[in-house]
Amino acid sequence: MSENMGLAPPKSPPIRLTREVVNSGFKQRVNELSGQHMDACYQCGNCSSGCPLAQEMDILPNGIIRLVQLGQRDEVINSETLWICASCFQCTVRCPKGIDIQAVMDALRQMALDEGVDHFGPDQIDPEQAALVPQPGLVGVYRKLST
Amino acid sequence: MAKIAYYPGCALNERSSHLDRSARDATVRLGFELDELDTWTCCGAVPPVSKERVMNLIAPSRILKNVRDSGRDILITICDFCYNTLKRTNFSIKTDDITRKRVNAFLADDTPEREYLEKDDTLWEDYAGEVRVIHLMEYLRDELGYEKITENLKRPLKGLKIAPYYGCVMLRPQNEIQLDDPENPSIIEDFITALDAQPVKYPYRTECCGSYLSVSSPDASTRLCYRILTSARNSGADAIVVSCPLCFYNLDSRQKAITEAYSDFKPLPIFYFTQLLSVALGVEYGRQGFEKHYVDVTPVLDKIDISTGKGDE
Repeated sequence: MSENMGLAPPKSPPIRLTREVVNSGFKQRVNELSGQHMDACYQCGNCSSGCPLAQEMDILPNGIIRLVQLGQRDEVINSETLWICASCFQCTVRCPKGIDIQAVMDALRQMALDEGVDHFGPDQIDPEQAALVPQPGLVGVYRKLST
Repeated sequence: MAKIAYYPGCALNERSSHLDRSARDATVRLGFELDELDTWTCCGAVPPVSKERVMNLIAPSRILKNVRDSGRDILITICDFCYNTLKRTNFSIKTDDITRKRVNAFLADDTPEREYLEKDDTLWEDYAGEVRVIHLMEYLRDELGYEKITENLKRPLKGLKIAPYYGCVMLRPQNEIQLDDPENPSIIEDFITALDAQPVKYPYRTECCGSYLSVSSPDASTRLCYRILTSARNSGADAIVVSCPLCFYNLDSRQKAITEAYSDFKPLPIFYFTQLLSVALGVEYGRQGFEKHYVDVTPVLDKIDISTGKGDE
């Protein structure tokens, strides 16, 4: 087992909550793009406990939702979590409030990519892999992780 | 022989051609033919990330509209990604008026000139989600009936312990896919039973294998696949059965990296469900594309007792 196993270390630079930041429109934009209601989340943590990739993430899925509720755009958009999520819908299936968390992740990926920076480009692929991976993997990764 | 419209998708056309071939071999023996669409494009592999990106719905919508226009109402797919993308696109078109209008506006706009020349008297008819997108395994279960498979077994897989692997997009999101219970499915177990083999219970059958992360974060996928494979093996499985080309790649080819990373790991053969089906229906081993597998499947094949069946035809 590698040293990456186990929960991600807490990432907690102090955040200052002001009315301007919380009401900056970030949460509303996520609601609009995802079709989900961020305030429905009551932080039960079911999404994070079922997530097969939680151990690879810097911010757990429920943490992402909480930060969206609080308007913390930069912390969310710069999180590695967006690019580790494999869109497997486990969280979506298990959310007791019916939030499609995968759709929220998609919306956040779109907002991050709208800044114009690809997270994964053709130059980053291992050529040996590129020659073997079935096409849905190649198409899927570029559709999700690049503009 | 009944012909059912069939969308192979890009993987089955090339890198996973053994999935395509074994499916065609098997279905012919079950009395129907997979009739590949005359023209088709990539479906896009994943649905668009938001409703704003309606352009990403155009390719799958065009495929579905062509099926409808050719007078057919069922479309079979096998790749789980194609199934998920086509079915969810259809769901959006059917349930969301705005999406339907926007998609049809795009489709009407890019209709090639020749179609106006050839059939200028046909009126444009909006695509409204008329086609039913079904997975081959769903067709076998609901339209053909698994009992029909059991009746036609030439080489029953008696004694084989097979672990089903569902992965993610075959079942989820459940409100749109509605194939089976997303947490406690049974469609593959029942399929295994129909082949006279024994389904193995293990905890990770619906846990993600890493999907496309295999390309961008291969180590993450290696860890996930290790967990799935060891769990299946510890539960007594001789092999795992999958239906998705990407699950197959992750669980099969990735065993090379897993063997390097984990000293306790023992390889486990992976099969497409269509390979087991066509083997059980008597298609010769030589047509299954086993040479494309990273993990040797012969230990499993050796367990199939050909003395009980009628062997190769």
